[in-house]
Amino acid sequence: MKNFWYLFAAYSIIWTALWAYTIRLSRKNKELQEELHDLQARVERVLTK
Amino acid sequence: MRIFGTILLFFIVFPLIFIRRNSVFQAVILYIIMDIAIFLVFIYVPTEKVQGIVQKIFYFHVSSAITMFLAFFIAFVASIMFLWKSSDWWDAVALSSVEIGVVFCTLVLITGPIWARPIWGAWWSWDPTLTLSLVLWLIYVAYLMLRADAHDPKRTRFAAVLGIVGFVDVPLIFWSVEKWRTLHPKPVLIQEGGTTGLTFAMLLTFVVCLGAFLLLFFYLLRERTSIAQSRYSLEVLRQEVDDLLAR
Repeated sequence: MKNFWYLFAAYSIIWTALWAYTIRLSRKNKELQEELHDLQARVERVLTK
Repeated sequence: MRIFGTILLFFIVFPLIFIRRNSVFQAVILYIIMDIAIFLVFIYVPTEKVQGIVQKIFYFHVSSAITMFLAFFIAFVASIMFLWKSSDWWDAVALSSVEIGVVFCTLVLITGPIWARPIWGAWWSWDPTLTLSLVLWLIYVAYLMLRADAHDPKRTRFAAVLGIVGFVDVPLIFWSVEKWRTLHPKPVLIQEGGTTGLTFAMLLTFVVCLGAFLLLFFYLLRERTSIAQSRYSLEVLRQEVDDLLAR
C-alpha cells in the first residue's frame, strides 16, 4: 500500500469539494426561491390594496 | 468496436435522464452511478504495475479535466449566443457553466500535483501543459470576479467576450499534451491509430467515472442556471416593488 495517503488525499479532496459545492447550490436555490415567493406575495398584496 | 458502441450508447442515453425535471430522481440516479464508480476504482480495477496505487487518481483526474473542458465549451457557446441574442437565459448558462468549470478545474489542479509528487518527485513543474491549465483557471476566475457585481450590462458583455477569448487556451492545452515536449503523460485513452492504452477493466472504470462526472455536471448546471435566473427575477421584482412604493 505504498503511496496510499496520496490516493486518500486526492479522493477526499474531490468528494469534499463536490459535496460542499452541491449542498451550497441546493441551499442557495432554496433561499432564492423562498425570497422570490415572499416578494411576489408582497407585490400582490400591494396591488390588491 | 463493441466497447466503443457501449461507450457511445452510455453518453447518448444517460444525459436524457436529466431532461426530466424530477431532481430527486436525478439525485438518486447520480448517487447510484457515483457508488458504482467508487466500487470500480477501489475494488474492481487492478492496480497498475508501474505507478502502483496512485494511478487510480487518473480515473477522477481525467474525468474532472474532460468535464471542465465541456463546461468551458458550453460557456463559450453560451457567451456567443448571449452577445448575438442578448438573452438573459444564455447569460445565466454561461455564468453557471464557468462557475462549475472553475470547480472542476480546481480539482484538476489539486489532484494533478498529488499524483505528480510520488511519480515525478515534485508537486509542480512549470511545463507547458501545467502552466496553460493554471492560466485557464486564472482566466475563468477573472470572469467570475467580473461577474461578482450585480447585473451590470457592461460587465456582463465584457465577461461574455472574456468567456469567448479565454476558450482559446483549451485547444492549446490539448496541443501541448499531444505535440509539445511536456512532463504531462501522453493520452492513453485514445492513442495514434485509434487504439486505447487501457485494459478492458481500466476502460470500463474510466467510462463509468466519466459518465458519473458528466451527469453531475448537468445536474449542477441546471441547479446553478436556476439560481442565476431566480436572481434576475428577484432584481426585476425588487425594481417593481420600489416603483410601486415610490408612487
